[in-house]
Amino acid sequence: MSEPVVVAESLNVRFADQCVLDDVSFTVNRGEVFALLGGNGAGKSTTLKTFLGTVAPTSGSASVLGHSVTSDSDFIRSKVAYLPESVMLYGHLTGMENIEYFLSLADVKRSASDIEAALKRVALQADAWHKKLADYSKGMRQKTAIALALLRSAPVLFLDEPTSGLDPSAIDEFNQLVTALSEAGSTVFMVTHDVYGACQVAHRIGLLDQGKIVGVFERSGSELIDTEQVHTAFAKRNA
Amino acid sequence: MSIIKSVMFDEWRYWRRTKVATTVILIGIALALASVIVNSIEVRQASAERTELQRISEQTFFDQPDRHPHRMVHYGHYVFRTPSPLSIIEPGVDAFTGTAMFLEGHQQNTAMFSEQRQSSGLTRFSSLSPAFMLQVLVPLMLILVGYSCVTREREAGTLHVMITQGVKVRDILAGKFFSLAGSGMLMLAPLAIASLWAGAHGESLAITASFVLGYVVYILVWSAIVLWGSTISSRSNASFAILIALWVVLCILVPRIASTTAATLEPSPGKLESDFSVVEELRALGDGHNASDPAYEKLKQDLLNQYGVDDVADLPMNFRGVVLTYSEKKLTDVLNKYAEARMDEELSQAEIARQFGWLSPMVSMRTFSMMIAGTNLENHHRFLREAEELRFDFVQALNHAHEHDLDYHTDINRYVNDDTAKAARVDASHWQVLSSFDFAPESAQFRLSHSLRYVLQLLLWAALMLALIKRASRGVM
Ligand SMILES: Nc1ncnc2c1ncn2[C@@H]1O[C@H](COP(=O)(O)OP(=O)(O)OP(=O)(O)O)[C@@H](O)[C@H]1O
Ligand SMILES: [Mg+2]
Repeated sequence: MSEPVVVAESLNVRFADQCVLDDVSFTVNRGEVFALLGGNGAGKSTTLKTFLGTVAPTSGSASVLGHSVTSDSDFIRSKVAYLPESVMLYGHLTGMENIEYFLSLADVKRSASDIEAALKRVALQADAWHKKLADYSKGMRQKTAIALALLRSAPVLFLDEPTSGLDPSAIDEFNQLVTALSEAGSTVFMVTHDVYGACQVAHRIGLLDQGKIVGVFERSGSELIDTEQVHTAFAKRNA
Repeated sequence: MSIIKSVMFDEWRYWRRTKVATTVILIGIALALASVIVNSIEVRQASAERTELQRISEQTFFDQPDRHPHRMVHYGHYVFRTPSPLSIIEPGVDAFTGTAMFLEGHQQNTAMFSEQRQSSGLTRFSSLSPAFMLQVLVPLMLILVGYSCVTREREAGTLHVMITQGVKVRDILAGKFFSLAGSGMLMLAPLAIASLWAGAHGESLAITASFVLGYVVYILVWSAIVLWGSTISSRSNASFAILIALWVVLCILVPRIASTTAATLEPSPGKLESDFSVVEELRALGDGHNASDPAYEKLKQDLLNQYGVDDVADLPMNFRGVVLTYSEKKLTDVLNKYAEARMDEELSQAEIARQFGWLSPMVSMRTFSMMIAGTNLENHHRFLREAEELRFDFVQALNHAHEHDLDYHTDINRYVNDDTAKAARVDASHWQVLSSFDFAPESAQFRLSHSLRYVLQLLLWAALMLALIKRASRGVM
């Protein structure tokens, strides 16, 4: 029984005279991993922001868990763990403190051992936990942000380029993590331009080009989506 | 609620880690504390000194030997105004009006011993009163500490993260507001301590509590102004520029414009000019020391007729004393007329300046502070009037002694030789006519009820800022 969690219907977003999203429609069901794949400037981040209510749709509708983005963004934000494109945490705080602070803002209570478990799960080296974030590498920040998203234990995850800055082994671990989350019932909506990564984890991939969904790829049975096929379609569009 | 607290504590943590804000706050507290201490030592000293001087002055007057009564009129007497307890924080007009006065016959002297007239050079620092600190410098420090409280998060993108995490803009702004207000309250701590001291030195609880409360509201208003500036700006440097400009306008420019406007709308005739017309009018009154001055001809005739005698020497009282009493009354009437006119002018100027509290919270706070502390202009005028009343009473009491207790013949012959001079004296017991001067502050109720307009001004500012922040919060995303 598929239960729609993230739904876009004929979504249009315009900035001034530029049409950034053009009649975008898709549905992500509970427990599903959906990846929106597209080149730079395709409108991927804008799609996520529309669902978070920080960008208003020009027309069409978008909803999460049945709540419309235009009227209920507070509800949506409380149910969604969002990993932004560029990780913006506090440089003057340590990784631990950043997580503690943002959890307190989300009104989520987690013990120190929970936080440590999450940091271990994203493979952030333990000697960095109590260092200032200003001294972190890009990948370490990304891991911290992923740990924070995990700790929110929100039913829905929005991930914007989650593997950018991660080394290959960290990407593998991350992909396993996403799979585990979806198996545990979380709905994952990610946007990326990493074809291989998307094919590894996604149940479905939407190919976004200049604000339009120009192709959809789906797993058949338990087989992963064919990377070759997606890559060809993607390359053709971005030639 | 817990989210607001988290934001507030995080802001404080940021201040601690970056040191700048902490330094500013510590400087603020240190300055406030230092100015309270310096000022309270000064006021306490002055207060003790004045009580003592008042006692000595009265004693010296009482201790005078038998004398001719008119010599005592010219001997004169000092009165001192003990500063109100809260003047350790708010010196108000006391800083430039005098607090002591020399009282003598035929003259109204101006008050003496003002802080600003005496001080020069280095001691000018004493004009850094705690009130000035709190009204002008604390807002500046709040700006330094808080101008980037929202823009910093906006620039770093953390504001976006917070909001997309479901944190309400209202809660973020409330947290930032309380962090600012909290640091402002720290800088108010010396004021609270000084108010406790004032309470222990006879100031009523209603007064000290409203005084502190007034400053609390003022700090809240400024915290709101700083938050607003940071909320409407997209960058920290823009926020800083906006807030500094606002500070200059509200704390420096508007008060200046207020006094200039007051002086323009209610011009006071130059001192020379009014001095000149006083002299003119007084000259027409005649010289009371000369009983045969033509100005007293009618007085003389009336008395001669009344008692049916031909010569003033045959009157049942000393005619010279009569003339002195009469002329002192006339002279005082003229002097009072001019003094009242001058006080009226000063007061209407002050009233005009006070209206500018609608345009600047600093002006409303300043007026409120002086009204409650009892260091306002009205209070100084009351001192002038009470001192004048005392002056007139003792001069006339001496003139009365001159009139009834000193024989006319003895009086006119007093310059013949030493013996006649000795004979023309009255007993020292007559010096007891001097009533003691103790100038008390207005009652708490009086001061509170006369401060209502300024409370209203402050509350209006608070309401305005609340509305502005509400509006600004809608544009945060
Ligand atoms: N706030 C904005 N105002 C105007 N134009 C915008 C705004 N945000 C995005 N755009 C434009 O919308 C288009 C899509 O941007 P978006 O950030 O969604 O791309 P993206 O697919 O996430 O690209 P990337 O892979 O580089 O992250 C771009 O052309 C961008 O210039
Ligand atoms: Mg993007």
